[in-house]
Amino acid sequence: MSDAFDLENPTEEHRLLRNTLRDFVRQVVEPQADEHDRSGVMNKALLKRVGDLGLLGVTIPADDGGAGMDAVAAALVHHELSKSDPGFALAYLAHAMLFVNNFYWASNADQRERYLHKVLSGEWVGGMGMTEPGTGTDVLAMKTTARRVDGGYVLRGHKALITNAPDGDVFIVYARLDDQVTTFVVERGFKGFSTPDKTRKMGMRASMLGELVFDDCFVPSANLLGHEGKGVGNMMRNLEIERLTLAAMSLGIADRCLEVMVKYAVERQSFGKPLVEHGQIQRYIAESYAKTEAARALVYTVARKVSPDTRNRLGTDASKLFAAPVGKEVADAAMQVLGGWGYCDEYKIERFYRDAKLLEIGGGTLESHQKNITKELARLVSG
Amino acid sequence: MKILVPLKRVADPDNANKVKIPASGEKIDTTGLEPKPNPFDEYALEAALRLTENGQTPKVRAGEVIVVTFGPKECDTTLRAALATGADRAIRVDTTDDKLDGDLVARALKAIVDREKPDVVVMGKQAVDGDSNQVAQLLAEYLDWPQATFAATVHEEDGALLVGREVDGGVITLRVKLPAVVSVDLRIVAPTSVYSTKTARTFKYNDGVRFAALPAIMAAKKKPLVELKLADLTADVAPKIVYNAFQAPPARKAGIKVKDVADLVLHLKDEAKVL
Repeated sequence: MSDAFDLENPTEEHRLLRNTLRDFVRQVVEPQADEHDRSGVMNKALLKRVGDLGLLGVTIPADDGGAGMDAVAAALVHHELSKSDPGFALAYLAHAMLFVNNFYWASNADQRERYLHKVLSGEWVGGMGMTEPGTGTDVLAMKTTARRVDGGYVLRGHKALITNAPDGDVFIVYARLDDQVTTFVVERGFKGFSTPDKTRKMGMRASMLGELVFDDCFVPSANLLGHEGKGVGNMMRNLEIERLTLAAMSLGIADRCLEVMVKYAVERQSFGKPLVEHGQIQRYIAESYAKTEAARALVYTVARKVSPDTRNRLGTDASKLFAAPVGKEVADAAMQVLGGWGYCDEYKIERFYRDAKLLEIGGGTLESHQKNITKELARLVSG
Repeated sequence: MKILVPLKRVADPDNANKVKIPASGEKIDTTGLEPKPNPFDEYALEAALRLTENGQTPKVRAGEVIVVTFGPKECDTTLRAALATGADRAIRVDTTDDKLDGDLVARALKAIVDREKPDVVVMGKQAVDGDSNQVAQLLAEYLDWPQATFAATVHEEDGALLVGREVDGGVITLRVKLPAVVSVDLRIVAPTSVYSTKTARTFKYNDGVRFAALPAIMAAKKKPLVELKLADLTADVAPKIVYNAFQAPPARKAGIKVKDVADLVLHLKDEAKVL
């Protein structure tokens, strides 16, 4: 019934957005996905097209040029994009969530004036630098430093495994100032800033990965984001929507792989009957379905309780801890059901399989979610 | 320019093979099929939007596009989607499909045209469920307006539209004076099919219908959507066409294998009787 509660589309606007995205993904995103996986180059024109649709500012208030929607809408966009092109969805996430959303909630009026229009339209590509060659999950051990100089700061250090680094125009960068994590906005072209060649990787190839190098890079005072020493607050607030949207990407991968495996199993005959009638295949399909539905319920339930003004660390960690392996396992099950055809690229399962693994690592390893969740639960008990 | 675009909600045309006819034959059962806008009507809306803008600045509407549909409350979703895509306001005539036929819809649309006084009615050439293809023609007749059906291209001129229709062997171009009724075919959404007087002829649209932008989706709920009663539009609400029974076409039989060419010729001659 149309009046029944719909967890994935709580309002008419969400439903309209999802329908529009499905059409857009089928007609525009799907046809270009294989090409960019093979070339390993991000589709900048597509990012701009996504900007024309207002999707680069999903969570930004309408008064400032965004769409003024909520975390459910952000999850929805990543979910639908990932049904066709998780690699592009990751580039979109690095831009729209890691840069735009993070930037907006931490920036002042002058900074919004200078940068917001460029990143909302897709004229500029954004990214975020947190991870370093020697510090990933233990992020607070970062070694990149900032020191005060006349008119600004000088950054020294090295960020690695940064999505959109090779083709980004502007980055949010975390560095230690007086040993306190502080957030800066760094533009390509700032003296002493460079992005070496892209880092080659297993999947998610429609987004580019690389390093940010700060060789005594001068950052003007006007590009301090928020306050000195208050970077951890920005980081933690943004990590929540990052984890949620990454979990939604895993859900998109699972949805696609399940669809492909069921269709194949209905059509393909083996030992004189369709694959769906084989008990071993039924286990792959049924378990994939149950896991995917469980991930959907968790991701969208958590999404309703994520906002810039509230904290939901437990929910967002849990949704990614659960959904990321579901994406990988359902892609694996699909490959097994498709057999040799799944391993080849025609059915695209091998691409989703490669993409799915990243979500157990990027934006927080499974181990970091396990640590965070346990720490939080223990804190609730011991106070 | 003020344009009226009638829209119809149909059962998902991509899954039309899943409609069922119950043994009683009383109706066509579309249970479980997602309702979608009739594709030809979506093309009509796209054409109307192109005619009321400069293609370079599609967020600014030069004129007004009004969408109208006939159906129950659930059809509001179809109208909201049209509003999000760019239409200015919407009208829903409260009724259900089983109480309508093409003639009744055309008569009711005439009443709406009399009230709204659009410069042109742009509509799909047919709905993909009934495939009747008659409302545009009937409406033009009732209004005593010129009509151009199956438009593949529409170029706006001062007080007229230049309409290209694909026919066997080429394209016929008609100049219709406004006000007029235009029904559109699928090629109307090609990149260079429709030009308003404001859009440079060098401009090329993206192929297909436009996607609703997210801020426009949020703004759509603030646009006016009014509900009318069918009886307020026409005194005679009885359809002229009454369906007595529905029957599925006979299932296709399996083919046969022939021995050789001679055997094939024999079958073509004696059974198929095509030789």
